Amino acid sequence: MIRRHQRIVFWCLVVCIVGMGALLALGRQRGRQRIEALAADQTPLDAPTAMAETVTLELANDDEGTIMPVSRQIALPPEPNARARALIDHLIAEYALPGSPHALTPGAAVAEVFLLPLPLVGYTTDSSSTASKDGGFRPTLPVGSDDPDQLRAKQPGGELAVIDLHSAFVNQHPSGVEVESLTLRSILGTLHANLPQIEQVRFLVDGQARETLAGHADLLRTYPAADTSTSGTAANQGQSK
Amino acid sequence: MKPNLPPVPAPIPLNRKLIVLDPAHGGVDSGSRISDSAVEKDVTLALAFRLRSLLTARGFTVVMTREADVPSVPGAAGAALTLDDRAGIANHEHAAACLVLHATGSGTGVHLYRSELEGTAGQPTVVPWLTAQAPWIHESQLLEKQVAMAFSRSGIALVTSNASVRPIDSLTCPALVFELAPAGDDADSINDTAYQQRVALAIAGAMLFWQNEVQPPARLAVTTNAAGNNAAGSRP
Repeated sequence: MIRRHQRIVFWCLVVCIVGMGALLALGRQRGRQRIEALAADQTPLDAPTAMAETVTLELANDDEGTIMPVSRQIALPPEPNARARALIDHLIAEYALPGSPHALTPGAAVAEVFLLPLPLVGYTTDSSSTASKDGGFRPTLPVGSDDPDQLRAKQPGGELAVIDLHSAFVNQHPSGVEVESLTLRSILGTLHANLPQIEQVRFLVDGQARETLAGHADLLRTYPAADTSTSGTAANQGQSK
Repeated sequence: MKPNLPPVPAPIPLNRKLIVLDPAHGGVDSGSRISDSAVEKDVTLALAFRLRSLLTARGFTVVMTREADVPSVPGAAGAALTLDDRAGIANHEHAAACLVLHATGSGTGVHLYRSELEGTAGQPTVVPWLTAQAPWIHESQLLEKQVAMAFSRSGIALVTSNASVRPIDSLTCPALVFELAPAGDDADSINDTAYQQRVALAIAGAMLFWQNEVQPPARLAVTTNAAGNNAAGSRP
């Protein structure tokens, strides 16, 4: 026969086991709810510091062969190089939307944008120089640039933007004189509208010079950043039928 | 006492009866795909052959940068023809006009482009390769007007604009880019014989007028700097 104190101990143990099981289940439920709450929270870990601002995108239209300015509210980083890259990324993203009048494949187009102050000079050693403060180095034009006027800034603080495009973007770009020209003019006009200190633009593909965008538009030349919207080049457009 | 003015070279004479045709692309470079059965390199070559026949019949000598699918450097069989090679072939001819032929599946009619470079007053002795077209911009503008009038007479839709299409900026002759688009909504209409013939007739007709108008740009005086190096200077 089981003694009375043994029965008391047994039932106390049963109550403890049930209580611990209930606590464990409750803890698991609370943990699951916390994880679900975290998953549902879309608040970014680093809140953007830049406020959305109004920018002008010069959007191309293949059917009409035109470029028209369009305003957008976009948060841009303050640093000029990153700002120029973000502008072009937003521009290309517009063209990747369904129903775009200038359809381009979605994806990252720009690897990097470098802004270089004008005038653009390189340096070479001058064996005949007796100046010692610059170590015998003197400014010179880059190789292949025989027109110094092209490398001078029109305004103080003028810059040259070197846009390094991804080859994946360039290789998938539609081929044709008009469609390629519109892409370049759209980029030039957008940079000019939002970053007026950019006076000239050069293009690279994966860090290398490339002859054409997709077989037509010249990527070797230095382009002037200017208003490329249709209203700005109306004098150059004509149509006869 | 008269100052010693630097000599002004005479303009390089043009061959008014010579036209350079550059059918773009060729070989592995097919250009744009116009339709399931047409690629740009074939359309440009077909139009060039048609245009050559019409120009030759009008007394012109025609030089083509390629006469087969695979372009090759003259005298170096097998070597691929680069865009700079095409410009080099054209520049050696001192032609009355250099016509670069392209084709596209978008739009209709003909798209006509000239260089985006800003024109300069005269041709320097040493010509920068990437902006060699600059002294010829004025002549290219006049040629563009002549061609626009010819297309207007022919009733072919024509859109004119500016574009930097390699190698037009390196050409030292009045230069235009013709981009042939389909005649209508059907992309395959770009290969329509009658349509291509109408376009070629309009261009050949324009060249007939153009040969009497074209003038080479003035050349800039050669100056000698202190270091004894020759450099291009402005006309005194």
